[in-house]
Amino acid sequence: MPKRIYLLIIGIGLLVISCCPQNTKVVLIPEPGGNVGRLTVTNETGTVEMNRAGEAIVVSDQKSAPSPPEIISAAEINADFAQVLAVEVSQPEHFVLYFKSQSTELTAESEARLPELLETISRNKSQDVSVIGHSDSTGDYQYNLALSKRRAIAVSGLLIRQGVPASIIQISSHGEKNPLVKTADNVSEPKNRRVEVVVR
Amino acid sequence: MRMCCSLFFSFYLLVQMSPAALAQTPFIGIFKSVSGEVVLINSQNTVKVLPNMKFAQGDTIRTGSDSSVGLIFVDDTVISLGSNSEMEIQSFLFNPVEKDLSFVTRLLRGTFSFISGQIAKLAPREVQLKTPDATLGVRGTRFLVKVD
Repeated sequence: MPKRIYLLIIGIGLLVISCCPQNTKVVLIPEPGGNVGRLTVTNETGTVEMNRAGEAIVVSDQKSAPSPPEIISAAEINADFAQVLAVEVSQPEHFVLYFKSQSTELTAESEARLPELLETISRNKSQDVSVIGHSDSTGDYQYNLALSKRRAIAVSGLLIRQGVPASIIQISSHGEKNPLVKTADNVSEPKNRRVEVVVR
Repeated sequence: MRMCCSLFFSFYLLVQMSPAALAQTPFIGIFKSVSGEVVLINSQNTVKVLPNMKFAQGDTIRTGSDSSVGLIFVDDTVISLGSNSEMEIQSFLFNPVEKDLSFVTRLLRGTFSFISGQIAKLAPREVQLKTPDATLGVRGTRFLVKVD
């Protein structure tokens, strides 16, 4: 008899868990820089737009209208999202470093950006840094492929010398085939003589 | 007993096969931080997620209790999952030159933080996050979602 009662209790428990309506809660929050984006929430009842920081909407199912957007407090946000906010991964950051013509030597302006790049790698605790070499279209294809590779290796060497582990750096090179500014062949274009560094 | 052994053996085969199987699919991003119990499920198998592992279109990612994971997509979109969460990447295309852009994800349960990337900038209409109750259209950039 007591066994049946247990089963009954378990059964009711399962029923309560499975019957409860599903909910979707959406909260728009500012980017780290403070900018606030825009979201739409659409179901069978129509579309609601959100565009203010801290604005929240709850939708209970496809056939029910979403709750009117309402700004909620930081404490209310934390009640649901403290864990995911604590582990939130930051967005990759891109750096573009430029080179002197036909050279693996950085321009003075780009060299001056190295401390900022290193600081970003350490702040984001990055374990994945892509270093992608490019060239302009002066010279032939193979030459530029090799030059862009040497540029990528030069930048990765600078990072490694400053303490970035070689194991987290991935080097690739695109030669002249991925220009920032499209040009005809054999055109010297400072904006295309570059290495892009993506810090993930 | 025999049944049990053969089940175990097929599971062993699946786990053994997985790195090769994963390497064949074009990757669309990497897992950044992994904590606790996190698995990736695709059409072939289920694998334990490790930091810096790659994922592809069609993959489902699931976290257990006291677990979390961050996904960085090649278009710079970042999705972080809290405990007991599950999402499926239904479609991801990032080919800005040919204007092939799409990002459709199903958020099945749990908590999510979302920071939109290039696709939302270039083709906002192509970004859809589906939950059981609604579809979110993303015009940028950072928001939280809880599905329970």
